[in-house]
Amino acid sequence: MIRSTENRYGKTLYTLFPGDYFATGEDCILGTVTGACACVCLYDNGRRLGGMGHFIVPGMIGTEGIFADDIATQGITSMEYLIGEIVKLGGDRKYLKAKLFGVARLNSRLSDMEGVIKSNIRFLKEYFSLERIPVETEDIGGMNRRQVLFYPTAGTAMRRFQRRNDDASEFVRIEQEYIDTMFRNKPRYGKVYLFE
Amino acid sequence: MKHILVIDDSPTIRVSVEFTIKKLGYQIRQAENGKDALEKIAEIQKAGDDIALCICDVNMPVMDGITFIREFRKTDKFTPVLVLTTESENEKVSAGREAGASGWIIKPFQPAELLKIVEKFIR
Ligand SMILES: [Mg+2]
Repeated sequence: MIRSTENRYGKTLYTLFPGDYFATGEDCILGTVTGACACVCLYDNGRRLGGMGHFIVPGMIGTEGIFADDIATQGITSMEYLIGEIVKLGGDRKYLKAKLFGVARLNSRLSDMEGVIKSNIRFLKEYFSLERIPVETEDIGGMNRRQVLFYPTAGTAMRRFQRRNDDASEFVRIEQEYIDTMFRNKPRYGKVYLFE
Repeated sequence: MKHILVIDDSPTIRVSVEFTIKKLGYQIRQAENGKDALEKIAEIQKAGDDIALCICDVNMPVMDGITFIREFRKTDKFTPVLVLTTESENEKVSAGREAGASGWIIKPFQPAELLKIVEKFIR
């Protein structure tokens, strides 16, 4: 993530890269560019705080629910990191609202892109339904890369399609590297420490 | 009747943990934060039942997991409490241990491994 104060928006801009997540109560802008990855924006309007996560569910989800699936678990954990930051700031998932962007059919290097895209869309739908977090904007799928700007304290978001890949060449490269790493290392589990 | 209490603010995580350990045959109860857990524990004990084990998240609204463990340990020194969290910093893990946690499992958990750990602690 990069923080910049000199920009055209007149507010601090935090630029998130694939795999990043960030939550804040600062009156600022969170921005990213997303292709096949999901960009999840969450905000708690009463407490005026919010956050953004940029991630991919690395593979195909089976027919059971996402709560019983090894691949979906990776997505659940990405969401846990983001919501955990919001909770640390005093937020509560019961009062969150979501805006979803990305998951475009863009990654030609995936062997089954269509299946992965479908799995990611299904993950988002099932996750937010299980969590009972209302989804206000569902701007997902399609064939275009999206630039997303999110005002976390107000909960407003702006999206612009990028018609050409070289409009965001740096993001395209980093997202490809992130997706390659996620698919190479799946599934990954956390460490265990036993004290007794 | 023996109960296992799953404490997490995420319904998805609670369902996922319950799905993983339900084959052990214990009554599984869910709580959404530390305060809710203390209330459920009081209810269970009032009904004359026992808690076999708690699985507890850290980052939760109302009452976080570390505070819950400290409160719980004021009256219960023995029932195992396993922490299940995204938090991995050494200081947090030590704080959990000092509060009285029995173990610290970093999300995402491997289902077979969680099942084995829970079995070991309730035996
Ligand atoms: Mg939590």
